[in-house]
Amino acid sequence: MIPQYHPSEERLCDHTTGAQAEGPASVITAHLGACQPCRARVRVLEAVGGALLLDLDPAPMHADALAVALARIERPVDKAPVHRSQSPPLPDWIDDKLPEVRDAWRRRRWAAPGVWVAPVRRERDGARSYLLRVGPSMSVPKHSHRGSEMVCVLKGAYVDGGSTHRVGDFVENDATVVHVPTVTPDGECVCLVYADAALAPRGWIGRLFQPFVGI
Amino acid sequence: MHVLSNASRGLGVALAADHKATRQCGAARRVTLRAQPAGRDLSASIVAIATTGDRDAFAQLFEHFAPRVKSYLVRLGAGSDVAEELAQDTLLAVWRRAAAFDPSRAAASTWVFTIARNLRIDLARRERRPQGPDDPSRAAFDPAPPDLALSILQDEKRIARAIEVLPPEQSQVVRLAFYFDKPHSEIAAELGLPLGTVKSRLRLAVARLRAALGDAS
Repeated sequence: MIPQYHPSEERLCDHTTGAQAEGPASVITAHLGACQPCRARVRVLEAVGGALLLDLDPAPMHADALAVALARIERPVDKAPVHRSQSPPLPDWIDDKLPEVRDAWRRRRWAAPGVWVAPVRRERDGARSYLLRVGPSMSVPKHSHRGSEMVCVLKGAYVDGGSTHRVGDFVENDATVVHVPTVTPDGECVCLVYADAALAPRGWIGRLFQPFVGI
Repeated sequence: MHVLSNASRGLGVALAADHKATRQCGAARRVTLRAQPAGRDLSASIVAIATTGDRDAFAQLFEHFAPRVKSYLVRLGAGSDVAEELAQDTLLAVWRRAAAFDPSRAAASTWVFTIARNLRIDLARRERRPQGPDDPSRAAFDPAPPDLALSILQDEKRIARAIEVLPPEQSQVVRLAFYFDKPHSEIAAELGLPLGTVKSRLRLAVARLRAALGDAS
């Protein structure tokens, strides 16, 4: 099934040029794994990157560069150990493309009944990425965001403001969004989340909830 | 070894120069992109490496791509030595991964671009996290996804032409995005344009490129 919610054109462009920070790039990569049309979009942008690469004035390499290269290709390839064990119940494209997310799953900890969080990474500027699992029919208490947030659904589905977000969907929320995302009754929902600042809980339930969940 | 931090330093000057150049060109003048070198087809050379381990084909690819990859990395702010090293690594990856290249689905330049970009991103991340786990199983780049059949994208000349015919203000934003590796928000700040203007130029440019290159979706 093709996801219904996609990154903006500018996000895909930033992703293609490599201008995106690691956190947002992971969420987009997670979406691309599930979304053939967006992969095709990125493909076009990469073709543009290739054409612009060919158009650059060459920068001279060292005099012996080709000799160095020809020597290097004769060396045997060190076979890197591929450790693939105990795959988490996450889509296989996560396993392939986002090993740090797969590894994070092993660090998950229950933060509240029905809720676990698995930190993926934390940037120096306070931005962080994490996996968030919320049980069937549960809601994340009403909150907004101090910055922007990007989400890719990896398992299950949640409803937010009348829209249902399913596996592979990419959602970007900014500080103007106040919401109460609610997981659908048919099963748990796991999302990869990148947030450049902490949540801003609205209401006492949220304020109680936040210290435990740590997001 | 600070690929990204150096990039920001040179940006202001370079952006200003590009901006000025675009203005001076005016709306009428468009640039012609260089596409293919004379001699053997680049894609055929990659296939020759995959099928017969053809060293001459590799040498030809190296002479063509390595100086351009180096140039690309220097533009993005890498020092000359780092750029040289990454250009070497890029071409080594071309040799080792040649079998993953599918000439019916992508142009040689597209493939080499993605390898260079991914190696650069990996390097920047290793620098930021020197003691972090360096997972060797992590692929440095994606092979062409097998479900795509955008046959036009294998044709370097058509891609170049699609870029050439962009209106200059759109072409400028696209070039800045690729040559300076800056998010669209920072390009807007550098050019002194509203963010919305940069976004809409980028969207228009990409829409035109897609139309010209036959987006399958």
